[in-house]
Amino acid sequence: MLKKLMDFANSREMRESRDEMVVGELVLAMAQMGMPATRFLAGADAQQVRFSTPHDPLLHNVAVIVDRKTGGGALSEAVIGSKAVITMTAEIKNYLADPDDLVGMWRTDFANITRMPLLGQVKLDHQLNSVLATKKLIVELNEYIGDPAVARPKLVALLQATIAELSQALAPYKKHSPFEVDG
Amino acid sequence: MTDTVTDQNEAIFVELVAGSWKRHAEITRNTQTDDLLVGAIIASSVNQGWALIDLGSSGSSHMLRFDHAASRTRLVVEVHSLAESLATAKVIGRLANLEIGFGMRVDNFSQVFQAVKTEIKSALLVATEPGVITVDGDLSTGYVYAQITLLVDLDDYLTGPLTVDYAKLQAHIGAVVHSLNKYLHGRLGQ
Repeated sequence: MLKKLMDFANSREMRESRDEMVVGELVLAMAQMGMPATRFLAGADAQQVRFSTPHDPLLHNVAVIVDRKTGGGALSEAVIGSKAVITMTAEIKNYLADPDDLVGMWRTDFANITRMPLLGQVKLDHQLNSVLATKKLIVELNEYIGDPAVARPKLVALLQATIAELSQALAPYKKHSPFEVDG
Repeated sequence: MTDTVTDQNEAIFVELVAGSWKRHAEITRNTQTDDLLVGAIIASSVNQGWALIDLGSSGSSHMLRFDHAASRTRLVVEVHSLAESLATAKVIGRLANLEIGFGMRVDNFSQVFQAVKTEIKSALLVATEPGVITVDGDLSTGYVYAQITLLVDLDDYLTGPLTVDYAKLQAHIGAVVHSLNKYLHGRLGQ
């Protein structure tokens, strides 16, 4: 009887940990792509990891937030699965910004107010020396854990495609300078 | 102003901005060294078949828990950075408390309960020094853990500002896990 209770507690714990498992796979995938994790902020509701991009001439860093929405309980997982919103934000850093740049950026920010990143669009945001591009994706967590031979290439493909899309959106705003520092 | 003076002023300006970014990067890198190591622990553990099942991080303190389903064992790693400020890091090094725990599933309830009793006794001993093995039992899931706190210099595991010596990190964690596994087996009489 006690063994059954412990088995039940273990299976519940594993079900509740699907989002952490995906974060673990994300950290491994990004490390293998040459982007080491350099910042963690994690609580009970969402996990945020920032990755440095030392080999990328355009990007300064990439941040990923995994926010689980469903599947914490056995019933909800069986009915709607373990869905999560993955928010990916890529940042470029311009090491010297002037007021003209900031005025130009304000126009883009204004145009972005009505844009909903949840619909899969890329949203741009300017912050002094930084320009950020964000995309939100709704994913089924179970697709990215399990057999590594199947799940890992799928996760790598998702990350590479999203980073490429964010890079494309940011490229026009990058001003290369002699002050480049790997972040 | 002559062209020469203008060029000199621009060169000084560029040098000042570049120097500022260099110093800013040094401060940033110091605060992210513990996170870099945490990321490397996650990447190497997941690559070796462990699944990350718990992640807690508040900036300078990080807690990781991994599960190895096939062997019904668990790995707990906690990193507490002791040198978040650059001044501290330059004086004493990038020191951190590294707590490593190894757990195994025990179906015998009395053994788990015994571990819990030992945990209560362990709590009475204030283990402020490294090298003290403590035992912890989780009644709900049936896992018994042996854990130890070490004091490490994070720079020992770096080969560059953003590169980790994975072989050394894996070897050190592997050695601790091996010893804790042996201790736990001896304690549980298996």
